[in-house]
Amino acid sequence: MKKVKMILMSTLVLITALSPAFATGQQEAANSDSVNLVYWSMWNETEPQAMVLKDAIKDFEKMNPGVKIDVQWNGREIRKTLQPALDAGTKIDIWDEDLERIVKTWQSYALSLDDFYGKAYPSTNGKTFTDTVMGSLQTLLRSFSSDGSLYAVPYQPMVVVVFYNKDHFDKAGITSTPRTWDELLQACSKLQAAGYTPITIDDAYIDLPLGMHLNRMYGNPESVEALVKDKTGNLWDAPEVMQTAKDFEALAPFMSPQVATNKWPAGQQEVATDQVSIYLMNGTWLPNEVMGTTGPDFRWGQFPYPAVTGGVNNNGGTYGAQGFQINKNCENPELAFALLAHLTSGKWDKELAAKTYGAPMDTSMPWPSQIEECRPIFESLDSWIPWSGGLAADTDAFPVIKAEYTRLLAGQITADQFVRNVKSALK
Amino acid sequence: MKRDNKMTVIFLTPALLSFCLVFLYPTIRTLFMSFFYVRTVTDNLGKWEFVGIGNYIKLFSSPMFRQSLVNIFNIWFWGGIAVFLVALVFSVILTSGYKGKSFYRAAIYLPNVVSAVAMATMWIQYAFSSKYGLFHSVFTFLGLEKAAAFQWTSPDNQFFAMTLAYCFGMVGYYVLIFMAGIEKIPVDYFEAARLEGANLFKQFTKITMPLMRGVIKSSIVMWSVTSIAFFIWSMMFSPLDPDVGTITPMVYMYNLVFGRNLTPTDPRLLNAGAGAAVGVLMTLMIIGVFGLVNFLIRDKKLQY
Amino acid sequence: MNRKQTLGRLPGYAVLNLWVLFTIVLVGWIVLASLSTTREIFTNTLLQSGLHFDNYIKAIVNHNVGMYFINSMIYTFAASFGIIVISAPASYILARFRFRGNKLIQSLFVGSLGIPQIMIILPLFYLASIMRMTNSRSLLIILYICLNVPFTVFFLLSFFATIPGSFEEAAAIDGCTPIGTFWKIIFPLAQPGIITVGIFNFIVLWNEFFIALIFANTSELRPLAVGLYTMVQSMRYIGDWAGMFAAVIIVFVPTFLLYIFLSKRIIAGVTGGAIKE
Repeated sequence: MKKVKMILMSTLVLITALSPAFATGQQEAANSDSVNLVYWSMWNETEPQAMVLKDAIKDFEKMNPGVKIDVQWNGREIRKTLQPALDAGTKIDIWDEDLERIVKTWQSYALSLDDFYGKAYPSTNGKTFTDTVMGSLQTLLRSFSSDGSLYAVPYQPMVVVVFYNKDHFDKAGITSTPRTWDELLQACSKLQAAGYTPITIDDAYIDLPLGMHLNRMYGNPESVEALVKDKTGNLWDAPEVMQTAKDFEALAPFMSPQVATNKWPAGQQEVATDQVSIYLMNGTWLPNEVMGTTGPDFRWGQFPYPAVTGGVNNNGGTYGAQGFQINKNCENPELAFALLAHLTSGKWDKELAAKTYGAPMDTSMPWPSQIEECRPIFESLDSWIPWSGGLAADTDAFPVIKAEYTRLLAGQITADQFVRNVKSALK
Repeated sequence: MKRDNKMTVIFLTPALLSFCLVFLYPTIRTLFMSFFYVRTVTDNLGKWEFVGIGNYIKLFSSPMFRQSLVNIFNIWFWGGIAVFLVALVFSVILTSGYKGKSFYRAAIYLPNVVSAVAMATMWIQYAFSSKYGLFHSVFTFLGLEKAAAFQWTSPDNQFFAMTLAYCFGMVGYYVLIFMAGIEKIPVDYFEAARLEGANLFKQFTKITMPLMRGVIKSSIVMWSVTSIAFFIWSMMFSPLDPDVGTITPMVYMYNLVFGRNLTPTDPRLLNAGAGAAVGVLMTLMIIGVFGLVNFLIRDKKLQY
Repeated sequence: MNRKQTLGRLPGYAVLNLWVLFTIVLVGWIVLASLSTTREIFTNTLLQSGLHFDNYIKAIVNHNVGMYFINSMIYTFAASFGIIVISAPASYILARFRFRGNKLIQSLFVGSLGIPQIMIILPLFYLASIMRMTNSRSLLIILYICLNVPFTVFFLLSFFATIPGSFEEAAAIDGCTPIGTFWKIIFPLAQPGIITVGIFNFIVLWNEFFIALIFANTSELRPLAVGLYTMVQSMRYIGDWAGMFAAVIIVFVPTFLLYIFLSKRIIAGVTGGAIKE
């Protein structure tokens, strides 16, 4: 009995000692004379992005006495927790997530920022904020919204490209990066001849090349969405689909034998550990993710997804950024926007890019050497393609297509079988 | 002893209140909600749209939901058979006078006390890796090239891989339960049987099994309840969006109600009402299993 | 024991040892990986550049593991305590006295054991949202308590039933109130059952994932299980796998030690808990 009493007592003590901590979750304005902003973050407190943001926010508080920023580090689960919290009327002034997601799903909760974009801020060097944000991202932002307004402030631009190991290309005697599918296949056979495993990818990204290929074929994501949502399966008889399947069938012999079983990050580590030469598709963040394995001196190269035979639009690509939004019910929108300007331009934009080997927002800044070849690609894309090219439009069909495509890419099934399997699974 | 009314009320009220709060009210609301189209969980009654059994029809017309039912059935049925067989063998071995009984019991149960997130990470990143993984190394060492090249986490095999990893961890729990059950059977029974020349197998089928009916029965119920809640392993094996081989009803519900992870979900696809219908179906399944088990394994008077 | 018997047991020992060995290798590899560099992990050359204990420092400093640990402690202790305070008196009343509705209440409690979480989670989330209680420690503790009351009441029934009524009568003669009698005399007598069910609840809550994932999901509120899950998730942005394996070990070790010291009690708790059903 003594033991039980001890445990009970110590629990009580523990609870009492920690009771101030119980108040977390209810943010009340602390003092009437200070201004409070609540920021729900997509980052975990321990991630490099969060560390930079934390310092930047501290800096902002110092520059604006009487302003207090409460940050709640949600991590990626914010995708699930933000909207219920907003619906319930929780005080949240600012939040962030992927640009497409925030505008498309949370536009109705957000403030239109067009007016704020036209002003200058301390970190913008006298220019208006509009002039500091990449034009392509502003166009993108407007296209995501239902009324063509700007509903977010982008940061950390990214683009999805093909990554390769420059050393391997040099040793295999490949002088220029492949621009067409045939050139890609030729490069792969040269790499194979030089003794390398040419190409690989992970389960987490495997849908990207298929989505991009179909977009090249059809010229727009809507057709791909229609394809995925087609319950009759008839659309899958199209020559574009068969051509796509045949192209990947031709690529299959060059794929790493692990490709079907690669659980992220096994595939990107194959490239990072020098075992494979090309990573079929990934985002700008890849070099940072494998930095622990490669070290900073690894010679990364990038090229855009190749043009395909019979393709309609060979200049589209997936690009975007993270973005902040301001609550339409925010009581201090000017202050909130000033904070966002502070975080996404000038000194702290630079700092964020440096700490994460990512791309800066500031167009006058060079991109880190690991991803410098991404920059011309980013600037040359003439149309935007959603992540995985619209394949994810149907939650039921997507996993089936992904599984069959994995088999195709691994050489376990032929192009004909791929089309047949998908068709029968969708019906 | 006389009953004190005041005390009865004071003592029972908190428990009853907590029951109403987290079981009674939610169960009724979920049941009700499953007949409505509800876009987000936080929508209040005013925004609900009555759709009759529309949500159920929608669920059954979704191939992924049907797949999740197939998966959960396979985990429950085949996984259950495997876990129970292995656990029975271990508990019979361990209760027949082996040295180091408590060490083995503790070691076999260990994976059960470790967070499933940690266990799943070990399996995915190490055991199943086709590069440096445990199975790969062992089979290569044994010269079994075919087995070494087995692609554990490919679309064809990942359901098997996930179930294997899950069941490995669950065995320990049932070893504990079965051992406790066997140890309650009086030793005289076995001695008498041995004197009459019954071998181990005979003893098992004629004494252990019949007397363990009750234990087995409650274990099946327990296994069913935990299987229905299969969630975390699936999330670990497909951390972004669910795969054909790993989806379970709970994951399906989670994605339907709270949105998907990787790609932004079209807000029109969110449907908390259908999520509620998944919950109702799972509850019905558990009730079904209760009924079936009670029907198949009748209580006999003598059991331990 | 004669030789023949020993020989006959060899296959049994072989199977047992293989099984245990597998567990050890699995955990052992993670230990080695947590002391290597990320490159060594993915090139299968563990420990080639010596021991890297800094992974552990990084995990503790960079990944908040300490915070998650404290959270788990708070949730588990507070909830285990709360469950007993609510369940024990109710169980006592149900076990001791006959009155209308007693059987009904008992069967409601038993029935709730079969209700999967998926059935009740949505309305609970709704309630928490409209009361603006998501993401608070107290909410999670309240939920943990309420969710485990029925099982605990049910479990303790037989323990209270076996305590002879003479204790209460004697106490009543001494002028003790019925409520006082319960806490001073009956509750201590049911101690074995209370400890057993307490340990059972403790283990269940320590590893709980789903409820915490939905109701306590910010950096400073996560318990270990969810914390580890988000750590694995955020590797996407960091790529520090050695650090992550170190985190896995940090999560693993305290549970493991506790288990080594208390394994008898834990096993008794678990078997007691399940055999009852």
